[in-house]
Amino acid sequence: MWIYEKRLQYPVKITKTCPKTAQLIISQYGGPDGELSASMRYLSQRYSMPVKEVGGLLTDIGTEELAHMEIICAMVYQLTKNLTIEQAKTAGFDAYYIDHTTALWPQAAAGLPFTAIEFQSKGDAITDLTEDLAAEQKARTVYDNLLRMIPEPEVREPLKFLRTREIVHFQRFGEALEKTKDKLDSKNYYYFNPEFDKDMFHGEL
Amino acid sequence: MSENHLAIANVPIQPWGELYSQEEALNIGTIFQDLNMPFFASESVMGTTNPIASGLKNLGVSKEQKDREQLMTKINQISFFLDDLTLYLDTHEQDAEALKLYREKAQECAELRKQFAQEFYPLTKLCVPHCKNGETSFCLQDGPMPWEGACI
Repeated sequence: MWIYEKRLQYPVKITKTCPKTAQLIISQYGGPDGELSASMRYLSQRYSMPVKEVGGLLTDIGTEELAHMEIICAMVYQLTKNLTIEQAKTAGFDAYYIDHTTALWPQAAAGLPFTAIEFQSKGDAITDLTEDLAAEQKARTVYDNLLRMIPEPEVREPLKFLRTREIVHFQRFGEALEKTKDKLDSKNYYYFNPEFDKDMFHGEL
Repeated sequence: MSENHLAIANVPIQPWGELYSQEEALNIGTIFQDLNMPFFASESVMGTTNPIASGLKNLGVSKEQKDREQLMTKINQISFFLDDLTLYLDTHEQDAEALKLYREKAQECAELRKQFAQEFYPLTKLCVPHCKNGETSFCLQDGPMPWEGACI
């Protein structure tokens, strides 16, 4: 169960319409390393996680990613809500406008639609946590690239906040991997799959 | 804690360290000074301003809106402090200092949310009973949508 709280985790107050910036930022909504993808990845992986605390962490980070998705959507919305047709044409926002007007739709910067193919839920704790570490780094790189490209402070500040969150999440997933390793045989972490070979994982080796 | 082994990733467990103030933490994106690693390559693009505080300086803003935004900022700051502390505690369940801080901040946050409902509008379903006009009409959708930003 989730409870909605009617506020953004980080406030977004953008005063200037800029469809070009919106088109770049939308990638963190529906792109390959976006917040929607991150949330669905963690919330999918948690059910079969063998270490309970790691499942809990995936729930909490997956939930925070939903809040990040809302921040990104708020940014895209505010950057385009007073859009004129002339602005849409000159900024290269025309193709998006034809299909979605100024509504929000999850896609990558280059126009590819959101897809679950971008993330994995593999059913092996080490594999999934290693994917999660990589996912946080990929998202950080996207924020780095956005920060190089976008000069407006009112857009940069939320992006910098979100970038820092990727680093914090990386640290937590690292600690979750350590927790999982603690319960496995350090001579061979790959002796069995703790998520599937439950009898072995519970010490009946 | 595991030692280093071949053929598997290893990330050191974070020890408890210096924290940022509630105000600083939301601006930066973490409460932990050790985890603040800015992207200096893009900092030359421009100096920074703080959009959280700058909203309060706007002229022509009513007193009601100013008071509301101030309380909302406090709620955002303390809630974020709790968000970051939650993830830390997920992997450090026994950390006494973090636990103590969590209890204090959680209590304070609940009181602020109650106050916000009493004075302005409810932030969650559970805040509805605290609203002053909640007896005559359903107040859950009162107040601006969170994504409206600059115009509220």
